[in-house]
Amino acid sequence: MGPVPRTLELFYDVLSPYSWLGFEVLCRYKNIWNINLQLRPSLIAGIMKDSGNQPPALLPRKAQYLKNDVRLLGQHVQVPMQFPKDFFSVILEKGSLSAMRFLTAVSMEHPGMLEKVSRELWMRVWSRAAEKAGMPSEQARGLLEKISTPKVKNKLKETTEAACKYGAFGLPVTVAHLDNQTHMLFGSDRMELLAHLLGEKWMGPVPPATNARL
Amino acid sequence: MGPVPRTLELFYDVLSPYSWLGFEVLCRYKNIWNINLQLRPSLIAGIMKDSGNQPPALLPRKAQYLKNDVRLLGQHVQVPMQFPKDFFSVILEKGSLSAMRFLTAVSMEHPGMLEKVSRELWMRVWSRDEDITEPQSILAAAEKAGMPSEQARGLLEKISTPKVKNKLKETTEAACKYGAFGLPVTVAHLDNQTHMLFGSDRMELLAHLLGEKWMGPVPPATNARL
Repeated sequence: MGPVPRTLELFYDVLSPYSWLGFEVLCRYKNIWNINLQLRPSLIAGIMKDSGNQPPALLPRKAQYLKNDVRLLGQHVQVPMQFPKDFFSVILEKGSLSAMRFLTAVSMEHPGMLEKVSRELWMRVWSRAAEKAGMPSEQARGLLEKISTPKVKNKLKETTEAACKYGAFGLPVTVAHLDNQTHMLFGSDRMELLAHLLGEKWMGPVPPATNARL
Repeated sequence: MGPVPRTLELFYDVLSPYSWLGFEVLCRYKNIWNINLQLRPSLIAGIMKDSGNQPPALLPRKAQYLKNDVRLLGQHVQVPMQFPKDFFSVILEKGSLSAMRFLTAVSMEHPGMLEKVSRELWMRVWSRDEDITEPQSILAAAEKAGMPSEQARGLLEKISTPKVKNKLKETTEAACKYGAFGLPVTVAHLDNQTHMLFGSDRMELLAHLLGEKWMGPVPPATNARL
């Protein structure tokens, strides 16, 4: 057996388009690099509050920039990103509490499903398919009965606090546990640097699938 | 002759470490990609003011993050980055007005020296923790870049003229018109569209937009175009 896989923790929120980009890149590389990818559903609103930061979209020029940035990166990273028309009025107000509690429950009860369910939630918010749906309200409301237990609420809180302890002021945050040090990297645009720190090869955001480790 | 080189404008301020990273990467690629790199000395303080943004270092967790980020990126991009000991004083109190006016004057009178002089100013503030606000500091950087001291002194005298002050203002306003809320900003002029990219971490995306090959932040020099 080869060297022990390095643990990478990915803290993310489906409200964050950059989280989706980082998520997809790491999901592609998890079968190529010698890593153990741990998905950590977190609440970006909680991180903003704890760090004193603000969503970038609140600054007009950043909001304008984000729209283009997310679109271009979506093309480059091959993720079907579409900025929801009513992002500010609907998404920022509604937030992602139900969705992230739902994912927390999934992580606790069906961790093998966490990747797929996370992706489906991103698709609903950030892809044209569910423009009017925004957050999956019907489904979430039904599940919310089941997942509003202290156990799930606390677990989401703990995960979000863990991200804050690593120094997060936004998401996505990737924490790489190397032999002798731990690195916290912010943003979907630190993956090439991550490769450098891991001593792995960076093959762009869409690596050839045939490079999968056996 | 091949296709017309695409113009890239790089708006930067030597006060910004990420500007230095973006600058070095683009300087490496300017002889590899089919581009025409135009350096645009700008004032980050002016951009912050105009956009309503704040220097990220004012948020404690961002300041902590920046220190590590800049250090790691410096290693990866192979730029000898060292955080100044009194970073807040350097960024928030001392600033870069004279230095950027000086670079503006260089861009107007000796554009061929702009890359080297810019680099020497970054080396002072972001590698050796040296001052860039005093006249002697700026002269030292210009001389280290290979500029004759007469020439450097002549340019230094011009930094307070309306011509130079206005040019820096115009360049900074141009960045703002492109939508800048910080630096570095790279503006890529393609056949049918213009793209504004913020940060030193959009270079791989830039390659994709240009239809060029990304070979990491330290491409092999032997790939130079003839």
